[in-house]
Amino acid sequence: MPAQDIRELRIVGFLCNWCSYGGADTAGVGRFTQPTDLRIIRVPCSGRIDPLFIVRSLLNGADGVLVSGCHPRDCHYAEGNFYARRRLELLKRFLPVTGIDARRFEYTWVSASEGQRWQHVVTEFTHRIHELGPAPSFNPMSEVDWNALALQAAQGQGCPCHG
Amino acid sequence: MERYITKQNLTRLAEDLAKTCRVLAPVSSCGSVTFRRFQPGMTMDLHSRMAAVSPKAATFPQTETLLVVKRDATEKKPELVETLPQGKSVVIGCRPCGARGKLIFNPVYETDKIKDPYFISRRDNTVFISLACDRPETTCFCHSVGSGPADTAGSDILLTLVGDGYVARSVTPAGDEIMKLALFEDAGDKGKEADAKNAEARELMGEAHDYTSAPAKLLARFDDMDFWQAQSAKCISCGACTYMCPTCYCFNITDDDLGLNSRRIRTWDNCMSHTFTLEGSGHNPRSTKAHRLKNRVGHKFSYYPDLHKGVIACCGCGRCIKQCPAGVDIRQIVNAAQEYSE
Amino acid sequence: MSQLDDLKSAIKDRLGELECVIGWEQGYDALHATPLFIRTEADLDRLVIGPLAVHNLATYLTAYKGKKIGVVVKGCDSRSVIELVNENLVNRDDIVVFGLCCDGVVSQPKIRAALPADPGFVESVTIGTDELKITVAGQTVTLKKSDVLADKCRVCQHPNAIIADVLIGTKQNPAGANSLACQEEFEAKSDAEKLAFWQETMSRCIRCYACRNACPMCVCRDYCIATSRDPLWLSQDNSPAENMMFQMVHVSHLAGRCTECGECERACPVDIPLMLLRRYMNKQVKDVFEHQAGTALDQTPPLFTFKVEEERIHERGW
Repeated sequence: MPAQDIRELRIVGFLCNWCSYGGADTAGVGRFTQPTDLRIIRVPCSGRIDPLFIVRSLLNGADGVLVSGCHPRDCHYAEGNFYARRRLELLKRFLPVTGIDARRFEYTWVSASEGQRWQHVVTEFTHRIHELGPAPSFNPMSEVDWNALALQAAQGQGCPCHG
Repeated sequence: MERYITKQNLTRLAEDLAKTCRVLAPVSSCGSVTFRRFQPGMTMDLHSRMAAVSPKAATFPQTETLLVVKRDATEKKPELVETLPQGKSVVIGCRPCGARGKLIFNPVYETDKIKDPYFISRRDNTVFISLACDRPETTCFCHSVGSGPADTAGSDILLTLVGDGYVARSVTPAGDEIMKLALFEDAGDKGKEADAKNAEARELMGEAHDYTSAPAKLLARFDDMDFWQAQSAKCISCGACTYMCPTCYCFNITDDDLGLNSRRIRTWDNCMSHTFTLEGSGHNPRSTKAHRLKNRVGHKFSYYPDLHKGVIACCGCGRCIKQCPAGVDIRQIVNAAQEYSE
Repeated sequence: MSQLDDLKSAIKDRLGELECVIGWEQGYDALHATPLFIRTEADLDRLVIGPLAVHNLATYLTAYKGKKIGVVVKGCDSRSVIELVNENLVNRDDIVVFGLCCDGVVSQPKIRAALPADPGFVESVTIGTDELKITVAGQTVTLKKSDVLADKCRVCQHPNAIIADVLIGTKQNPAGANSLACQEEFEAKSDAEKLAFWQETMSRCIRCYACRNACPMCVCRDYCIATSRDPLWLSQDNSPAENMMFQMVHVSHLAGRCTECGECERACPVDIPLMLLRRYMNKQVKDVFEHQAGTALDQTPPLFTFKVEEERIHERGW
């Protein structure tokens, strides 16, 4: 089922100004059909993206976060995306321990001329997020959820480190 | 009123009360005992140790929503919703020191001129069922600040462990009301045993330290930054001491904006933090941890007593000593000021 | 001479040229030590070392920047000193490192769990080579040190101070194990279980920032983004999500810099097992960058640099 046919989810995209934002624009100008769940935030460079932007988005209720920058060696500022790659990779690998599904975050590279690639990335990622469904809220939504958690803790099924 | 309640029935009492009000009880998770909202199925941990965090949150929650602002995308005028706390609460199994802590709030939050409706509402709608202590921990000094292991000040009912249950003594009408329930039985002559246990616990605490000279002596050290730098050398300037303190009442007010709705919240603040006194200009009158520790100790043992009939703003629970990551001992600091000679 | 005597005489030799030397002394009871700032020879009498000397004293170093001071470090603590030097946060020439060969420190939560009564009722403690004899509420028990050893010591690969101007004691062997069962168990849980665990655990957090301020590598302290209103990273609301957000701030600012001294977890007044997060991040750093912070001078933290071709980061197929 195409993503557009079901309820929209909240996907946040951080795109660098020089390549990926341009790529998204190219896709638009080329009238390539794309799902509409993505909310794009334009940043000067993928090197500007603090991994905490992504964490903050996820904890604030985003169902997915997509980061895209210039291909390595093509950074407008020469090396911003090299730093970004290290940071984003670490975050991607770190997420599982927090209980946040690491598939909800992805990073990739799209150049300004790659309209079709952009279409592909957005479609694939949106599809993935729809398969995962809405993200569970970190703050328990209701008092019932809350009590279940408290009860679980009080029954001592908790900590692996303190026994 | 004096009655007796078995351990089993105390749990049933908690379960019954939880149906109509918010019950807070010490619960152990991850090896840490904290006050949690109690519900049937939970085990109260009354005896393994004193809760790490004081029961202060019952009357002064870490986050209090002061008001909610609702905006409608179509309407221009936002709607303001007041959020005065509703409903009754019962704290079960705090220590006398924890229950007494809120008394320190009274002269600040309820004066002729200023009344804090949030605190007053919570205070007047919360019943404290405290548990008298058997023996002092190495960090306990409630007897030195005008209290003791079986102090009833601030409590509605005081429990003393006798046999497989507790002798319950109520000291307020709200306490009487609860003790009329059938879960309580006649105390018989167990009262004498409770008296003996209370006296023994007091005996174990030894001689009280005399803090009478502390207000003046601390004030005398006010400008002696060498003294405070030495005392605060090991302090790491975190907020563990203030947040766990039953008597620390400082707060911060901030607005939380998320989408169309926002709320104004009041949260615990802590005088050990740099931002506590940071001014808009960038100037900070308490720029170092020495200044900040001076304020914390001075406030509790000097400035507050000077303003409020000599009452020390400390209930002697020892949490700030026990839970300090660096082992800063407030008793030692006050002693050093008291014993200071030029 | 004992290790303590050796240490005292080494400190005595250098004390004259130093603002102070940071060590440990007996704390508020027999079961706790506390940091000691040695300024005179008389202060030296109070110096203690051993399994109760848990604090990582490197935490205090940045506050003395520009002054010459001494610090007593265990193997793990020495990694923090190295990392601070590598990041130019302290000047190596300003610090005299009294390094210990350490055979492990205790975990207070583990002692608490092993004692018949609350450790608050402790009356006396006798420390032997392999055991601790503790009298608590009138009962005396003997605990094997190996049973109450801190988790970090169970997997310690650097028991002897890596850098030291004076190295005190007999060199100890690294631990045989290099992974903790509790860590592996936790990592094996499902996302839903891990999420529920952190939701519940973070609901206990009071955001006192003891974890931050006890951390030797958290050098912003007074200027931390957690307490900034502009930019506003965190709400003052102590909801689980905000509390978790702070932990994420801590972990990500420590990525590739954390020396795994465990001070954050030790400092936590409500016993949140923060090291589950830190160890996991460090493992990723090691896997991707073959880097362990503070194990050698002149290392560059991996996020301060890059390679044009990253051997261990692979493009995902899009």
